Amino acid sequence: MSATIRADASDETAALLHRCAGGDRAAFRLLYDRWGSRLYGIALRITRQPALAADALHDAFLQIWQQVHRFDPDRGGPDAWMVGMVRYRALDIVRRQAREIPGYEPEEREDESPDALARLVSTTEGAALHRCLKELEEERRRLVVMAFVDGLSHSELAVQLSMPLGTVKSWIRRSLTQLRGCLAS
Amino acid sequence: MSGEQDRDLLAAEYVLGSLEGDERREAERLLAADPAFARSVLTWQQRLTPLAAHAAPAAPPADLWRRIERDIAPAATVAILPSRRRVRFWQATTAGALAIAASLAAFMVLRQPEQTRVALLAPLAGGPPVLMAMVARGDGLVVRPTASIAVPTDKDLELWALPQGETKPRSLGVLPPSGRQLTAQLAPGTQLMVSLEPKGGSPTGQPTGPVLYGGWLTNIEVPRG
Repeated sequence: MSATIRADASDETAALLHRCAGGDRAAFRLLYDRWGSRLYGIALRITRQPALAADALHDAFLQIWQQVHRFDPDRGGPDAWMVGMVRYRALDIVRRQAREIPGYEPEEREDESPDALARLVSTTEGAALHRCLKELEEERRRLVVMAFVDGLSHSELAVQLSMPLGTVKSWIRRSLTQLRGCLAS
Repeated sequence: MSGEQDRDLLAAEYVLGSLEGDERREAERLLAADPAFARSVLTWQQRLTPLAAHAAPAAPPADLWRRIERDIAPAATVAILPSRRRVRFWQATTAGALAIAASLAAFMVLRQPEQTRVALLAPLAGGPPVLMAMVARGDGLVVRPTASIAVPTDKDLELWALPQGETKPRSLGVLPPSGRQLTAQLAPGTQLMVSLEPKGGSPTGQPTGPVLYGGWLTNIEVPRG
């Protein structure tokens, strides 16, 4: 049932994006109301500073407004498009800042949080990804999740987890290859 | 086969966000230059986006909507903003970008027939567009900056067109930071790119420096009257 709700939400987002492409500012405001906290949460995890997260969200929404005519539902869902906007912006900000790693403590066992899990499995794609992630060894799954959610680079992950850089890279590549195979099946 | 697999993994790592340095730049270059790579990125985005659910939603600062609203303000409001805001290297001032985009939009409404093609060229690394290109009278292309662009004195920007389905871009010549008009037949769906090249342009006929900005030509219907 919740999958249906999420699918409806995606349809609603697609409809709002379509209205934005026609210059409808009221639709843009609705889009911000629907997506603002979710995207801000994503940016905050990556930048870890409210001011930088606010910059990322600001830039993402400007880009959404300016490039909404390029959104093509045939090339991907509205959720991936919206999330991509804020993630690449936030990653760009942190990669440029060459942030300091010491002192940063990622949330422990984040993929076990019941809320996160409920949100993750609430879509068909999410449920499939969850199933395939469970097939990875725990340490490797953790690498993938930390890279995506916390925006940690290969070398940051190596420092964070006290692992050689080469190991981090090969584990990530192997995990992604395994995910690709599992998701295709 | 293994080359394709490698590229697909690079796309996966790009979406995952773990790339840095040269590998990240290479992925950004491919994203603009290689349609197959761009498709891989879209596929991986679709696959991995559910992971974003791990980030708990949080209320953005209360004044953020006002900032966004102000920066998408219509031309009349934005155009009078001073354009001397500090410009970081390679970065656009959003207000300037919007002012020029809005004034070009006004120009299109007044002068153009019902349909034209435009492209917004944005930094591949993300951020607001810094150049706008518009097809005028069939085979004319007008390219204008929508923000100040700083180019090192020993370098030039070069404009490239990559028609849909092709893999090698063709040069449209050196692009001064102030923009240019040129003659070129460009179909909708053509990708426009700007790379950083040695003075005088690429010596090889293909981009040799990093591709900085990119965007697609899109048909725009302009209502009349």
